[in-house]
Amino acid sequence: MPVMDFNKRYLEKLIDAKFDSIEFEDILWKMGFTVEGSTEDTISVEITPNRPDMLDAVGFARAFRHFTGKSKEYDYEIKDQKLDVSITVGSNAKKVRPFIASFTVHNINFTEDSLTNLLNATDKFTDTFGRKRKKIAIGIHNLDTVSGNIEYDAYHDSKYVPLNMNKEMKYSEVLSTSEKGMKYKEALKRGTKLYPALHDHKGTLALIPILNSERTKVTTSTKNLLVDITGSSEYLVNKTAELLACSFIDMGATVRKAGIKYPEKVAETPLMDKQTISLTIKRIIGELGVKMSSDSILAMGHRMGYSCTLDGKKITFTVPQYRVDIINEQDVIEDLLIAFGYDNIVPAAVPSINPGASEELTRKRTSIEDLMIGSGYNQMFNSYLSNDTYNFSMMRQNAPTDSAVRIKNPKTDAATVMRTWLTPSLLRNVSLSLNERMPLNVFELDMAFSVKAGMPSEKYHIAAVSCSSKANFNDAKGLAELILSNLGLEYTISDSKNECFIEGRRAGIFHNGKEIGFFGEIHPEVLSNFKIEEPAIGVEITLPFESYSYIGNSKTADQNVKKTVK
Amino acid sequence: MHRYEKTILEILKKKQKSDPDSLINAGGLGKDETLWALESLSGKGLIEITRENEKQVSLTEEGMQYVKEGLPEMILLKRLKEGTIPIKNLGDKRSMIGLQWAKKKGFIVISNGSVLLSDKGVNALERGIDTQKDMEAIASGNTVKDIEELIKRGLAQESSKNRVSMVTITRKGIDAKLNEVDESLIDSVDRKLIATKGWEGKNFKPYDIKLEVEKPVPARRHPLSYTIGRIREAYVSNGFTEVSGPIIDSAFWVFDSLFEPQDHPARDAQDTFYIANADETEASPEAYVNRVKKAHTKGWKYRWSLPTSRETVLRTHTTSVSARYIYDIISGIMEEGKAPVLPIKLFSTGRIFRNENIDYKHLADFYQTDGIIIGEDLRLAHLFDTILKLYSWLGTEIRFKPAYFPFVEPGAELYAYSKKSSEWMELGGSGVIRREITGVRNGKISVLAWGVGVERLALIGNERLKGISELYNNGLGWLRKSGD
Repeated sequence: MPVMDFNKRYLEKLIDAKFDSIEFEDILWKMGFTVEGSTEDTISVEITPNRPDMLDAVGFARAFRHFTGKSKEYDYEIKDQKLDVSITVGSNAKKVRPFIASFTVHNINFTEDSLTNLLNATDKFTDTFGRKRKKIAIGIHNLDTVSGNIEYDAYHDSKYVPLNMNKEMKYSEVLSTSEKGMKYKEALKRGTKLYPALHDHKGTLALIPILNSERTKVTTSTKNLLVDITGSSEYLVNKTAELLACSFIDMGATVRKAGIKYPEKVAETPLMDKQTISLTIKRIIGELGVKMSSDSILAMGHRMGYSCTLDGKKITFTVPQYRVDIINEQDVIEDLLIAFGYDNIVPAAVPSINPGASEELTRKRTSIEDLMIGSGYNQMFNSYLSNDTYNFSMMRQNAPTDSAVRIKNPKTDAATVMRTWLTPSLLRNVSLSLNERMPLNVFELDMAFSVKAGMPSEKYHIAAVSCSSKANFNDAKGLAELILSNLGLEYTISDSKNECFIEGRRAGIFHNGKEIGFFGEIHPEVLSNFKIEEPAIGVEITLPFESYSYIGNSKTADQNVKKTVK
Repeated sequence: MHRYEKTILEILKKKQKSDPDSLINAGGLGKDETLWALESLSGKGLIEITRENEKQVSLTEEGMQYVKEGLPEMILLKRLKEGTIPIKNLGDKRSMIGLQWAKKKGFIVISNGSVLLSDKGVNALERGIDTQKDMEAIASGNTVKDIEELIKRGLAQESSKNRVSMVTITRKGIDAKLNEVDESLIDSVDRKLIATKGWEGKNFKPYDIKLEVEKPVPARRHPLSYTIGRIREAYVSNGFTEVSGPIIDSAFWVFDSLFEPQDHPARDAQDTFYIANADETEASPEAYVNRVKKAHTKGWKYRWSLPTSRETVLRTHTTSVSARYIYDIISGIMEEGKAPVLPIKLFSTGRIFRNENIDYKHLADFYQTDGIIIGEDLRLAHLFDTILKLYSWLGTEIRFKPAYFPFVEPGAELYAYSKKSSEWMELGGSGVIRREITGVRNGKISVLAWGVGVERLALIGNERLKGISELYNNGLGWLRKSGD
């Protein structure tokens, strides 16, 4: 989850309160946010991904002020209907980055703090919510440096002076050599030689979604802004424009819409449409679990930033335009519960008449585990992940080409395959406990994996290793037969070819003609591979039951739930 | 006379005098048995025991390190072989220790702020340093004459033990007859003694209850198994039925069915293990696939891709199991008109994976436990009540915090107060499953769901556990005294 570092001085001014206080953290907790840390100048807050509007100190402060009853501003509107800018979208834009929204901001008074916050917030916004600018990119320009008609299109490689550079560069050069270019080039849809860019009659305003031009650079003395939002989803591009417009309105500036002329249609952004959601008072009271007056419910709506009106037995909530996460009434109910306070919710017992039960699988496993512990073996919990070295070569096995489940994207060499058996894990356990008192007896009852024609298989195995100066084949056979007789399994013992054991001191366990396990004295070469200097024996058996109880689709409802359902 | 005593006395009759180790070898008895026999014979005046305070010298951790890496002064001498070094360039603490000792031993000369080798130093380089040789001798179990420097430098330590050093047979012992049975005391209890009531009117030979004995080598259940057992017990006693599902699964059940958009960072290769060679996971019901597609398209405004949902992953949560059962049960109710007795309460516990950098104390596998309740008119208050009851065994305060998970609304994170670290610790997430996922249309039936990290529960619930990494070290010494 994104963690936002807010400038304390600026945020304190915006929320009109001091933090570093237990009370501040407590309010945030109740709102659902966590303070991750703080320094002398900054405070870091984890912002949940549903609230990108709060990545900006202005939006964060807005929510905080609503929640604490300090703000009564709920309606965001663009009052000045004049259009200063119109952007023509060229026909090539749709091949690379189809949608754009824009607006202008007038008479803004930046301070060092507020400008830094704005740039940090839009960066974080496009990195997280905008998926590293793939989905959403934002550009902010000094409007007074823009002249003539503005055009958004995909262009052939050409030159401009990029932001914070002192020379002209080609688009392709910006992509391959500049810091932003290298960071965000993935966001650019390739497969075409065209580059999305914003132009006015003097040339490039921005190479989108990478880097603005030096010409339109915004500083603290900039008074008027041109904001562009581009991306692949028209809905999100428009929504982001609304979210940003609300912040500029909160900063005391005037916002004007911009005209967007697509080849096939025209629009004025931000739309600033209002979404309303109605809920009956009865439903709300049902969700809260406490009787409440309609006034109190309205007050709770206000504390979450909704403008809301009572309408007979219903309350209509107007969703503020900066909220991108409100899909339907379920989301409003959560907000009301947050305003009510999770700590104030009185737990209510779920009426229940059905008895519970553990799985049959659990009982089967416990029975074998108890047998092993009673026989002097210690239970181990090992990773399901392994690699070719541990799983195969150290065990004198030829790595099969296709029967092991392989990880497509391992981060380290330690986890490249799903283990196909448990004995390697157990030998590793022994090798890490060599200074303990002998015998070193370990077992594990857990899963091993394989794949056949693309179908993965998960199977429970029981495996045991005993290491002591006296360990020999007869012990291994005795243990294997003890387990098998407890499983009640019919079996025959025959030759095994498993090279992890010494030839002539190894055997396979067969059930219905299929090898389901093996046992024997571990080969000295294997022992040396694990730095074990005493003899050891091993037993491993695939257990004859399914590794999970889910049997698929609605059959499950019948069979698994039957136990609890009359 | 006990047979152990006989064995020992027999040897001493021949040898007159012996140290205990030779007696153990010659008699073939264990150490405990031999020492017991010696004490007993001495008590009867048949032998005389000489004890001595034995000093044992062993290397400290620092000493062991120097055996491996060489003494700091030796390391310094080796560096000086290449030429003089200014003191200020010596650097770390280890070099300063080397400097101090090399100077004390006259191996170096300091001139104009630089260090150079003395003749003695050159000699030491060729022949080695006695201190180093002594340490190596101690490390291989030999005794060393001069340990003063080693003790002073904290490289070796001395411990003493009052032990039996020599045993001499007495006159009485030489005269004692081996076959003479001391009728008054019973040695061992055997079948005959019990059957014939041979113990009546006699006393049993006592053991020295202070004598050190060896403990049995135990076999234990793993602590994680106890934690999982406690979780299961809590669920079952609260009326939940256990279920389980696959570990290798399609992204559909792990992500898509839980309203996780296909470009969500949690689905990145950075966080999730994708499987290269198993794309034939169980197909998902078509009607459900269509509903999920619609929910994504409407809720997240993007083009949902079927192939992306068919990629094979290692599940990142056990909520994928819950998702299956929610679908099965609700579609059973909705489409087939079945009316089970509600609420239905299910739980599962199992391995989950996160693609992390792995080292010996940092694994990519974890355990999670998930629960769901399908019932009528269920809301957050019911969820809180259920969770408080399920985790009361932790014996700690539990608090809920508003939280965001794509598949629930409202959502809450669970926190438990850890007395060990005096802080609120996040246990997991919970909420009321979104209707877009359950597919419930009339609003009557709702689904509560939650998932909790098992290792966190172990850490809070098991007072002896120091850290999560301990659980996966599987050290036998640790396990043998781990408790539950």
